[in-house]
Amino acid sequence: MNSTLGYGLVLLGLGFAAFAAVVGLVTGMTRRENALPWVQRAVYGFAASMILSNLVMVKALLEHDFSVKYVSQVGSKATPTIFTIVSLWSALEGSILFWGAIMGGYLLAFTLTYRKEHGRYMQLSLGVMAAVATFFAFLIAGPANPWGVVANPLSDGPGPNPLLQNHVLMIIHPPMLYLGYVGMTVPFGIAAGALLRGELGDAWLVPLRKWTLVPWLFLSIGIILGSWWAYAVLGWGGYWAWDPVENASFMPWLTATAFVHSTMVLERKKSLKLWTIALALGSFVLTIIGTFMTRSGVFNSVHSFTQSDIGPTFLAFIAVILVFCVLLLTVRGHLLVAESNLETVVSREGSILVNNLVFVALTFTVLLGTLFPLVTEALQDKKISVGEPYFNTMALPLGLLMLFLMGVGPMLPWGKADPKVLRQQFFIPGGLGILTLLPVVVWRYAAWEPLSGGEKTFGGFVSAMRSGDVMAGITFGLGTFVTVVTLREMFLPAQQRMSEAKESFFTAFVSSASRARRRFGGYVVHLGIVAIILAVAASSAYKIAAERTLKVGETLKVGEYGVRFDGLTNGKEPHREWVAANITVTGPGGEEKRHIGADAPRMNYYERSNDPIGSPMVQEMVWRDVYVSLRTYDGKAQTATFNAWVFPLVGWIWYAIPLLVLGTLISLWPQRKTVATLKSEAPAPNAATGTT
Amino acid sequence: MKRVGPIIALAIIGLLIFVLFKAFGNDPHEVPFLLNGKPAPNFKIKRLDTDQEVTLEQFKGRPIVLNFWATWCGPCKAEHPVLEYAWKKYEKDAVFLGIVFEDNEQNTKRFLAENGWSFPQLFDPKSTVAVDYGVSGVPETYFITKEGIIQGKVAAPFSHPMQIDARMKGILQ
Amino acid sequence: MTLALLVSLMLGQGYAPQRQGLDPLEAEKEARVMRLGKQLRCAVCQGVSIADSPASMARAQLDKVRELVSENKSDEEIYAYFIERYGEWVLLQPTTGGLNSVLWLGPLALLGIGLIVIVMQSKKSAVMLPMPQTAAAAEGASPAPTSDDALLAQVRADQEK
Repeated sequence: MNSTLGYGLVLLGLGFAAFAAVVGLVTGMTRRENALPWVQRAVYGFAASMILSNLVMVKALLEHDFSVKYVSQVGSKATPTIFTIVSLWSALEGSILFWGAIMGGYLLAFTLTYRKEHGRYMQLSLGVMAAVATFFAFLIAGPANPWGVVANPLSDGPGPNPLLQNHVLMIIHPPMLYLGYVGMTVPFGIAAGALLRGELGDAWLVPLRKWTLVPWLFLSIGIILGSWWAYAVLGWGGYWAWDPVENASFMPWLTATAFVHSTMVLERKKSLKLWTIALALGSFVLTIIGTFMTRSGVFNSVHSFTQSDIGPTFLAFIAVILVFCVLLLTVRGHLLVAESNLETVVSREGSILVNNLVFVALTFTVLLGTLFPLVTEALQDKKISVGEPYFNTMALPLGLLMLFLMGVGPMLPWGKADPKVLRQQFFIPGGLGILTLLPVVVWRYAAWEPLSGGEKTFGGFVSAMRSGDVMAGITFGLGTFVTVVTLREMFLPAQQRMSEAKESFFTAFVSSASRARRRFGGYVVHLGIVAIILAVAASSAYKIAAERTLKVGETLKVGEYGVRFDGLTNGKEPHREWVAANITVTGPGGEEKRHIGADAPRMNYYERSNDPIGSPMVQEMVWRDVYVSLRTYDGKAQTATFNAWVFPLVGWIWYAIPLLVLGTLISLWPQRKTVATLKSEAPAPNAATGTT
Repeated sequence: MKRVGPIIALAIIGLLIFVLFKAFGNDPHEVPFLLNGKPAPNFKIKRLDTDQEVTLEQFKGRPIVLNFWATWCGPCKAEHPVLEYAWKKYEKDAVFLGIVFEDNEQNTKRFLAENGWSFPQLFDPKSTVAVDYGVSGVPETYFITKEGIIQGKVAAPFSHPMQIDARMKGILQ
Repeated sequence: MTLALLVSLMLGQGYAPQRQGLDPLEAEKEARVMRLGKQLRCAVCQGVSIADSPASMARAQLDKVRELVSENKSDEEIYAYFIERYGEWVLLQPTTGGLNSVLWLGPLALLGIGLIVIVMQSKKSAVMLPMPQTAAAAEGASPAPTSDDALLAQVRADQEK
């Protein structure tokens, strides 16, 4: 019953999507704009069928209807309700079905938002998006069909992957990533629509920018939550391992970030049109390649789904999309002509151009590194690994360059800069950046002990400094520089208003910020990114690690903290049993914090999984985390082996999420529509949209 | 430039698709093994039943089947009777040795007492032998010729004696 | 597939009973052990180094590094020991020779070419000014010359050059 209904809805969705794609593209190319309502209706139909099909699946999961193939794979009566709902995306077929619902949601929202605007592009863009939707609907209907019927259903199932049941973050992390991935379909459609139409007016740029920012934000949140999840669940004390699946989500994020910056040049200078469009297309292609990486079973990853048959179908789709993009850019590209050229590299647009280059170079590095083992295997029949050392070596200088540009860019004016003004502007942030190094060096020197136990000399300290120390130092310096520049750019306009218009600080700040919302929001995001970069640098360069087997009552020292083993306990929940090693963490001031049972480092045993899954204890504090994971225990001897770490500042990676959200929302908040820009279909050349 | 660009782009796409397509047959989790055809590393560890030190060299002149396993590994337990059966069949022609690693002696002895203990089981307390042999999981079975050359390994449990028969042919000649 | 070990060790906790690794060497040598360990891929994990992995097999491999370091073996000899068993797969940082140079030089080349293009652009622009009619076409403000036919458009663009 559920199967028939759910599958019927998928087929219906497939039909609607295919109809919208064909009608949209054909009538769009022949410029019969009266067909638009039909395309819109088909899109609504697609969205409704996909969302309904997902609801039916949720219902089937909740009813434990094991006659549905997918439910029989991931359902279990022992699983708590919340995880039963979450298991909608815990395995391959369900995740693709869920993908379909999100796709429906995006297309619905996009179509409704602009149902009366942008007629000239709408059919083509919706047609392209619907074509992508057709592919996914086909995937759900065929190679990844979750609605198969089990002839003799069992009375219970295996339950979802235990790893996914282990943490609340698993409830929100995948949907965020999917919202990011799927959302890139919209800018792809917008950009491809513009190319097919052969023009890109200012008006069409607004949806392009906004609808990239939305998936960009979700992608950012998804990536950060994913790293948080890895940190809180996997127990090895890290949050990012350059794993193929992590890389897969990072690449479209990089190109989308580059895109967000290059649109500024496009609006201001009417140049970089083709480049910006290519970035939008590229971001989408990378989400599809990323999906392939996660789901084809070709890559070795902690996060990837099991082997599946959708690989070849997906590969064919990637090939089609790539060729489509190249042809589109080749045949139509010349229609989007730049109206101005770069005058000098030392300008806002010059710095954005270099920023774009660095982002693309990093994307290329990540892509190359991820794919390279496949390349050597295909061409030389040789298995090699490209791991963390490679990515760190390559990404670090590029990352530092980005950080530097993040400070320099906002400082530079559009067009030619006056060197004297520049020097003046540079002086304070640059000086403060260099000054930051001083306390860091002093602090490190105080904490440093000569390895061979000899005299403590400054020369010895310098020669014993690891490259990690130097890099962290540079990062802190640049971080300060960027923060000072950013804050100055944020508050200077307010200060001017205060002195000129004699406004109070608050009014001046609010009115100056709301006059340049996008720029202001961008700076808020920049501050969040700086926080993340500093947190990454501090937590990796200055982490302290310790490991020991403890008897009850013994203490393991890790930095200023002590971890005392208080004995083993066990517990039982409906879907799992666990053994926990109770510990007491002693702080620098002697204050004690007990972690007992569910709150202590644990080993979890799931009913239908052969192997236990550990969960670490993370004592989160503002400036540092104490992280203890249980490696092994011996119930008879009452001993336990712990890995313990102190990670300075690590939490700031996730605490930065609100800043990213806030900044993006400020940027997205609609400007009061200035008569000409949004409504008219073809604004006068050089009329700037937005008010940067 | 106008004409070369797209051609380069299409060539790169072609290469990308080719590389990804070629990858379908591969198991991304497979760990390469290069000791094939090389002399088997010697070892000196004790037998679990007699506590005697055993070396590989002392079996020189006879083909050897070396099985790395542990009691906490489900597939190893399932494989155990298959190996016992194969040992009975090849007892006269080849030496069978079990090497237990990542485990403790009591567990192993208990398991063997319950499930049959026909060929010698050696204990590798610090997994040094496993590292020397390039083990990448449990269970793994190495086939060594009478000259002491590694003639391949099977990095999976045996579920049927016939799978072992096929391998034995390689080292019995 | 030896899935059991893979899954259990990748997460760091098998049923494998606990076993202490070798004691750390004196500070300088131990630093070398950790540096080498960072570069070697754990045989049973998911792309993690033997220094980072909590898996006990990784521990055993790290012990091997310790043993070789205390025998004063060179870095090359230590890498060679592992390469002999697992091939280049064991190196988390790929070698630089042969095809691998693409991996190392590719991004640099991209960065270099990109910078050259950007600098050339800024030089060129000093001379060139945008042509008004292309601007109009791009804006779509004059619908007449815009054509759907890709070929026609191509021809027109070629003529403009």
